[in-house]
Formats: sequence, structure tokens, C-alpha cells
Amino acid sequence: MLESSTLLSVQNIETYYGPVSAVCGVSLVVEQGAIVTVLGANGAGKTTVLKTIAGLMFPAKGMVHFEGENITGIEPDKIVRLGIAHVPEGREVFPLLSTEENLRLGSLNNQLSRLDVVYEYFPILQKHRKLSAGFLSGGQQQMLAIGRALMQTPRLIMFDEPSLGLSPKLVHEISEIITRINTEQSVSILLVEQNAKMALQVAQYGYILEQGRVVMENTCERLSASTDVKEFYLGMKEAGVRGQRRWKRRKTWR
Amino acid sequence: MALTDSIAINGSDTVPKLFMHRVANFSQKVAVREKEFGIWNEYTWDDWGTHAREIGLGLKSLGLGRSDVVSIASEINKEWLFTDLGIVCVGGICNGVYATDSPQQVKYLINDSGSKFYFAEDEEQLDKVLQVRDTTPTLEKIIIFDMEGLRDLDDEMCLSIEQLRELGRTYDEAHPSEWSNEVQKASPEDVIILTYTSGTTGRPKGAMITQRNMIFMMTCIQNCLSVYPTDRQLGFLPLAHIAGRMFYVYSVIEARSIVHLIEDPDTMINDICEVEPTVHFAVPRVWEKQHSLVTLKLKKSTKFAKSMYDFALKIGYARAERILLNLQVSVFIEALFKVCDFLVLRNIKRALGLDKCRWLSTAAAPIAPELIRWYWALGLPMYELYGQTECTGIATCNVESRRRLGSVGPAAKGIDVTLSAENEILICSPGVIKGYWNRPEQTADTIRQDWLYTGDIGRIDDDGFVYVVDRMKDIIITAGGKNITPSEIENHLKFSPYITDAVVIGDRRPYLTCMIMIDHDNVTQYAQETDVPFTNYESLCHTDEILDLIAQEVERVNQQFAQAETIKKFRLIDQLLDAEDEELTPTQKLKRNVISQKYASIIDKMYA
Repeated sequence: MLESSTLLSVQNIETYYGPVSAVCGVSLVVEQGAIVTVLGANGAGKTTVLKTIAGLMFPAKGMVHFEGENITGIEPDKIVRLGIAHVPEGREVFPLLSTEENLRLGSLNNQLSRLDVVYEYFPILQKHRKLSAGFLSGGQQQMLAIGRALMQTPRLIMFDEPSLGLSPKLVHEISEIITRINTEQSVSILLVEQNAKMALQVAQYGYILEQGRVVMENTCERLSASTDVKEFYLGMKEAGVRGQRRWKRRKTWR
Repeated sequence: MALTDSIAINGSDTVPKLFMHRVANFSQKVAVREKEFGIWNEYTWDDWGTHAREIGLGLKSLGLGRSDVVSIASEINKEWLFTDLGIVCVGGICNGVYATDSPQQVKYLINDSGSKFYFAEDEEQLDKVLQVRDTTPTLEKIIIFDMEGLRDLDDEMCLSIEQLRELGRTYDEAHPSEWSNEVQKASPEDVIILTYTSGTTGRPKGAMITQRNMIFMMTCIQNCLSVYPTDRQLGFLPLAHIAGRMFYVYSVIEARSIVHLIEDPDTMINDICEVEPTVHFAVPRVWEKQHSLVTLKLKKSTKFAKSMYDFALKIGYARAERILLNLQVSVFIEALFKVCDFLVLRNIKRALGLDKCRWLSTAAAPIAPELIRWYWALGLPMYELYGQTECTGIATCNVESRRRLGSVGPAAKGIDVTLSAENEILICSPGVIKGYWNRPEQTADTIRQDWLYTGDIGRIDDDGFVYVVDRMKDIIITAGGKNITPSEIENHLKFSPYITDAVVIGDRRPYLTCMIMIDHDNVTQYAQETDVPFTNYESLCHTDEILDLIAQEVERVNQQFAQAETIKKFRLIDQLLDAEDEELTPTQKLKRNVISQKYASIIDKMYA
């Protein structure tokens, strides 16, 4: 039923936090080898979508397919074994374990050979391999979280706001790493971001979530050209007659 | 009533005199409430009078002469009301601009009306007029209601309403008798309001409403619908529209009722529940929305609630049927209805904020009779009325003692309605406007020997009830030569909770087709419930399931019509339209001509 090039397909998932619906009917597709981004404001439901795919949350409705196989409601560890890695929001490294221990935790069957791959991407981690992860800087912790995801040779990595709290220089570095991982490791990427500028540069295709629903989807090139995306996500406003403008147009998403 | 008879309310034959009468006699009574940041602020007649006086004299000090035009571009708010009366009392002419109008439309309106002053609601409205002011030579000053974000504004053409009022106070001190002089100068033949109408062809035309037109229409509303001083009204429609202006400003001045101005169009449903209006006017679009809201809520509720609702509504319909035919309702049905009302219907009315309503009134667009019947079944009397900007509002109105479902009622007191040889509805009324602003030719074309040619096709039954068939230019003549009135079919379609609006097409074509705008919320919910995968609005409109759903709705409507009147094909408008789009009128109706032009290729494909 799915095209052969489709790696991940999410159909109409609805996910609730108790009585509150966070995601109401989201569908999206990640093609083999693609970088797909999901943009949206706080509370739009981006993280919930990732958590639902990762099996951390159970959707009330809808289905998730990975490589043509229905993975809806499967235990998170099994999903990891299928090849989906999740780089959670806020890094979530284990602060009392050393850098290398953190990385080894990411490995499924202790394939320590993967360590070299990770250290190749992030030489700084090798330097601090004995250091407790809690002592790493924010950027290093983010690298560690990405490295941990790489340890299991995934087919798909889901990034949840990798740019969170990082300096512009580090954001740039991380985005380059994401692109490199995508091409060199032939890993597909689902990138959730608030930093729309970076995400639209890195990804090829994008979805925009608002209040738990997709309001727009298109190639990143087209998204970047849309007036609504420009004004509401990229902060580019036409200056207006007075050289400044504070009021907002109504969003139309077209 | 002869057209030349003088008309007066409480001895006042002009709006300024009547308004000052209200201010003098009811100074401490509340006239306006406005919700601001969630709190209802009250304004008495005295407040209204003071604001109007300061604004009016402020404009005078800036050079406003009698019969100079002033435009107001704003959503409904208290400043609108205050400014309106300020302008009118010093002899100016007040023209409303829709807050959703584009800069190009703003430019046209300023130039066509020759506006000297322009009131802008806020930064957004200000920016529109600043964009075009180089091409509007008549414009002298721009006054801003809400200065938020404009603290650094340094432009000698612009001032805030506070600054204007300050000018007014200074002027008042220097010329203490000026205000009452101006009020006394008003004569019944003076033009006080310009209301722009789209008209059949060409650009919008400004209908000139006089003092006398207005005083007559104020008595007319009172005669037809009766508004009491104790009544609460909810003001939420744009005041640039004649219906909003009549019901929320002038009927309030006449009846001394209290008008409640909503905070924002988005908060309307909450605001109405807080206000619990006792009389309520709205346009069909709003009534349709409320009906689908209830239909949808019920879909989500329990089986028990559904069957309770079905039963209660059945009783409601049975009772309404008798009432609508002016028959006695049996004691048994009435008692049963009381119980149903107590257990079920009252809660629905409460959720809609209509629980306390004595009457509901609908106009400004065609409405499906089923919808009116539904409100009656809830126990809410709804009266449909008919009129135009060109007759200052009402021409015919269903009233408690004389009403017929499906008709727009008999001619109101003092108004004559008849049909031309082509069945066009003609109106002769003291409310018929003086003409179109600077357009003698079009005036002569529309008003001939005191009769207003409405452009609507209708019929009048033996008892004098008027039925509006359709706009004359909208009548479809199919290739087979059959005359079809699209609005009747469209109304049936709009009654579906999944359809917001529709445009039936088929003039000189072999069969009828239709462009449909879906109800975004309801269809989205349907898609979610039935697991229809979609991403955005466009993709929603292209899913087979939704097309099937709408096809079912179209089929349901088709069954009620003759073979030639059935819709053979339809397409969905796959763009989410907004009030600012040219496809919609300010009252959120689809514009037939714009739709048929914009979607011409899609429409042609339906006939390929």
C-alpha cells in the first residue's frame, strides 16, 4: 500500500494528555533518505508527534507505519530496534554517567565499533570520554545526545529541537552535522524545530503544525517563500508605510 | 403615510435632536456596555453625549463644515458609536468603512465620498490609509482610536481621539453655544449617513441616508419588532453595514435599550452567553453557525442525550407547526413542551446565549425556512425581515400578529410594496434614500417616481405577504430555457452543517453545477472521527471521503427539487477564505461573480 520509497508514514494520529488533545489528526510522510521538518509554535504538538512515533505515547487513533510495517502502539524499545532513534528535547543525557557510558547506553548490542563513528563526528566527545556528562556544556550535551542516537545504526533519527538553548555558531554546527549524518550515514531525518530559519535550510520538505493540526505542507523552498511563513516563522515583515509594523495579518496558510 | 408627512419621535424630527433628548432625559441611564480585557465597562447617555460633543466640536475646530464627509474604519466599538453621533450632531456625514477593506478599497471610498477626515481604529487600519493618502487629495486629518504601538507616531496629519477630544473641549469653552446651535440647525432633509453598497454593476455606490429616512426607520423598527428600554442587545456585526447600524446604534437611541459591544469577533459566543440579550438580530450566516454548533455538539454526546434532544425537538416542532399556522396549541402539547424545555431545550438556548430572547430577527441574506423552524421549535420566535440599504433597512417584516414562514412578511407600517411587470419588488417608503452620492444617473435608474427598484424578484400573495425569489441578475436560465432561482437551492445546501456557503452555476448551461465552501471546523471534525487522512485545508477538500460526504449532502438537497433544478456536479473551493479575500462580502457571503470568474476553468471542466 505504501510506496517503496516511503520510510515512515504517520496517518491521522490523535494523541491525548488525559482529556487534553495535543495532536488531532496529523498525517505526515518521511521518504527514504529525506530530511523532513515539522515546524510550529510552543504547544502545537510537535513533541507529541515524535513521542507518539517513538512509542512513548499511545495514540487514541491513527496509525504509524515504518518501512511498511504497522508500528502503532509497539513498545519503545522494539521501535528502537526497528531503527528509529529519538534525540529528545533538552538532550536528556544521564548526568552522572560518563560520556562514553552514555554513548554505550545508546548501543543496542554493545557494538563499540560505532563509538569511532561518533567520535569522528564529535571529536570533542572523545576528549571528554571519561568526564561525567553533567559537566559537559550545553552544546556538548547536544552532541552527546546525537551521538547516542547514532550508536544504534538507525534508519531514521528524530530530532526534537536540537538548536534549543545553543549559540548561533553551535546551531550552525549542529545543522551541518545533521546534513552530514543524513548523507554519509544514509539516515532519514525527522527534524522538529522552533528555529524555522535553520530547519528550512536543512530540510527538503516541511510541515507546519498549529494547535495539533497540519496547516501547511510543502517543499522547504516553497515554504520559505510563503508570506505567512515569512511573517510568522521567519520574522520577516514588510516594513509598512511607517517603517515599522506591530500588528499581525491573519494567517491564511497558502 | 404620505411621503411628505413629517415624522418625529418624542417631538424630535432629526437624529441630533432626538439624541440630545435622550442625553438630557436619561443622562444617568446606561446606554452602552463594552467588553474590554474581559470586563464589561458601562457608559451612560451622559457619557455618550459628552464624548459625541467633544468629538464633534473637535472636528469642527479642525474645519469640518456641514455636509462634509467623515469616514470611520473600525470594528464595532464604543468609539464608533460616539464618533458617529459626534459627526452627525455637528452636521457632518458619516461613512462607515469595513475593517476588512483593502487599502485600494479604502482609497476608493475616501475619494468617492470626498472624505475630509478619517477615523482609523488602530495601527492596522492606520497603515492602510497611510499607504494611499498620497492619492486622496480631499483627506485632511486622520484620527486614531487606539494608540497602542503608536506612541512614537509623529505625523502632522494624524492625531489620537484623545487629542481630538481635547481640541473639542477647548473649542467648547470658546464657543459654548456652538454645540446646541449645530444640533438645532439639523433639518430632516440633511444627509447624515453614507452607506456604500456593491450594487448590481460597477463600483460601490454611496447611499445617502437623510435625517428623515433615519427617524422613519427608527419608528419602523419599533413598530415591527418592539424594543423596550429594559432590553439588552448584543452588537457584533460591522457598523458599516446598514443592518448593524440600525439595530445597534439607531434603534438603541430610539428605544433607550442597552447595547453590548463584544470584545472581538472570536469571543462572540462567550460574550453572548454573558450578556443574555433579550432581543437579538443577526444575519443568516450566524444563525447557520449556531445551528451547526448544536448539531455537532450532539454528535459527540451520549445516546441518551441524543434521544432526549430528538424527542424534545419533535415536541418543539409539533408546537411550532401549530404556532406558525396561527393555530391553538393543545394543552397537552404545551405542557409536554414545558417539560422538554425545562429538561433539554433550555440548556441548548443557554449555551447559545439566547435563553432570555423575546424575539430573534434575521435579514441581509436569504435564509432556509427549515432553519427558522428550528429556532421556533426551540421556543424562540424568529422573524425574517427584508429590506435594502436603499430603503434604510426595513421594507417588509414578519411581526407577531402577522407572519408566515418562508415569506419576508407584509410591508411594514407606512411602506408600500408592489411588483413591477417583471415581478421586480418595488418599494415606496419614507425610508427610501435621497439617492446615490454624486451619481444622479444611477439614482434616476434606481428610484423612479418615488418607487425604489430593488433588483429583487419576488411575489406577493393574496394576504399581502411578500416572498423574495432571488436577485434579478442571479436568476439562472439554463440552456434548456428553464428559470432557476439559485438562492433557494443554496439555502438548502447551507442548512447542512458541513456546508458554509455555495454558489449554484448554470446560466446558459445544460445543467446546474455548484461551487461549495465547506465548514472548516465541522468537516475537520468529521474527517478526524472517520479517520480520513489529510494535512491542510486543501488536502482535506480533495479527499474522497469528504467529497462523498458533500455529495451525500448535495443528493439530499437534490431530492427536494425538480429534475431540472438538481445539481449534477460540484467542486469544493479548496482555499480557506478570509474576510479580507475578495471572494467574500464583509458579511462572509460568497460573491457570485467573483467565484464564477476566479474558478472559471474549474467550472468549465464541470461542463466538459
